[in-house]
Amino acid sequence: MTLARRAHPFTSGTVTLALIALALVLSSTRQTAALYIATIVIALSTGAGRGVRTGLVTVAPIWVLLFLLQGVLGDGARIAAPWGGTLSGPGLHWALSQGTRLAVIATASLAFASSFDPHRFLQAAIARRWSFGAAFLLVATLDAADRLGEQARQLREAQRARGLHVTGSLRTRAGALPALVFPLLLASMTEADDRALALETRGLMLRGPRTATDPPHDTAPDRIVRWLAFVAVLAGVIWRVRS
Amino acid sequence: MNHYLRISPRLFALVPAAVAINLVMGAIVKELSLPVYLDTVGTVLVAVLVGFGGGALVGTISQLLIGLLTGYQSLPFVVIQWLLALLVAAATRRGGFASVWRTVAWGVACGLCCGAASAVIAYLLFRGATGGGVVWVTAALRVVGLPLPVAVAIGSGTTDVLDKGIVIVAVGTLLRALPRRILGRFPLAARAAAQ
Repeated sequence: MTLARRAHPFTSGTVTLALIALALVLSSTRQTAALYIATIVIALSTGAGRGVRTGLVTVAPIWVLLFLLQGVLGDGARIAAPWGGTLSGPGLHWALSQGTRLAVIATASLAFASSFDPHRFLQAAIARRWSFGAAFLLVATLDAADRLGEQARQLREAQRARGLHVTGSLRTRAGALPALVFPLLLASMTEADDRALALETRGLMLRGPRTATDPPHDTAPDRIVRWLAFVAVLAGVIWRVRS
Repeated sequence: MNHYLRISPRLFALVPAAVAINLVMGAIVKELSLPVYLDTVGTVLVAVLVGFGGGALVGTISQLLIGLLTGYQSLPFVVIQWLLALLVAAATRRGGFASVWRTVAWGVACGLCCGAASAVIAYLLFRGATGGGVVWVTAALRVVGLPLPVAVAIGSGTTDVLDKGIVIVAVGTLLRALPRRILGRFPLAARAAAQ
């Protein structure tokens, strides 16, 4: 089991939130670039390397768009591009700053998602007397997103087997949309209706404290890491306010 | 159920499904490389079924998840989800889903309102680089020589009119196709579909 999965669920959540907060607080491109490298190192060393790969796949198209819209087509003083022609200096700087900030947030979130265990999170929330409704809603949402994503994939394959074209001209692709969307919507509404009955009969609405049957251990290193993350964000905010 | 969050089991079941719909619709549109988002279908659906509060809750959770998983540019657009939930709840009460043409008219009106709001957010916070198909529209308009604010306004405006229009018409169609057994559990939506 990887370190990210072994850690208390609140620890990985706190580190992720701290990285996101720092990405938003830090101002210069160098700082956000350094934070991106730190995020990659943390993800790889804790066994959440999948988040780094999926993060890169997620942000790469946005990097291209940022470069195009701000670097190539941006306003302000022009600088020479290494391959000839010119680029917008302020636009390029802004694109780099936004691009690295975005990469930190996507990588940290996806690394957290790749090691997130809904059962352990729910148990930890119950043990801490957190709002069970809010915790259940979060876990049920992530679970539903996974299931519906898989259903959408199966539906796409089935519709393709029946002759639906999902590539080609804009008209062809737009025409494929109803066949992919409506069955999915109807299925999820029917499923939600059945689930509502199940939740009601299984005592979701019962009041009073709940018992965590298998709460994850909150160790001293977990608490130290959470405090360090908090201190890092605090230091970042103080530094930003002073500079 | 705890003391802090008092919502019905029906909403407990509906909210995760609607958020999942928002996330999966976004992914389907991305796969088809269409210049729309469709990541508000779940929000509109819940706003029609249970009203503004449910729609706003779905919109907030969806936008937070989309923002965390694909980039923080999505986070400020949570305002668009709230605005859309508000407009759709109003449309439901005023018979906006009674016929296809009324649904289309409300779809265009919602699209114009949301397009104007998202253009302001996209330009002021991100200089137009929000990600997704709309940026290609903005880039094309910049290549033609339009200033960035105008390019962002046209790009976001046209994309949102199309996007929200499709979403509202799709939900209107779904409302009419839903089994009576399910629709009957949501009096607001049942009245809207029957008007």
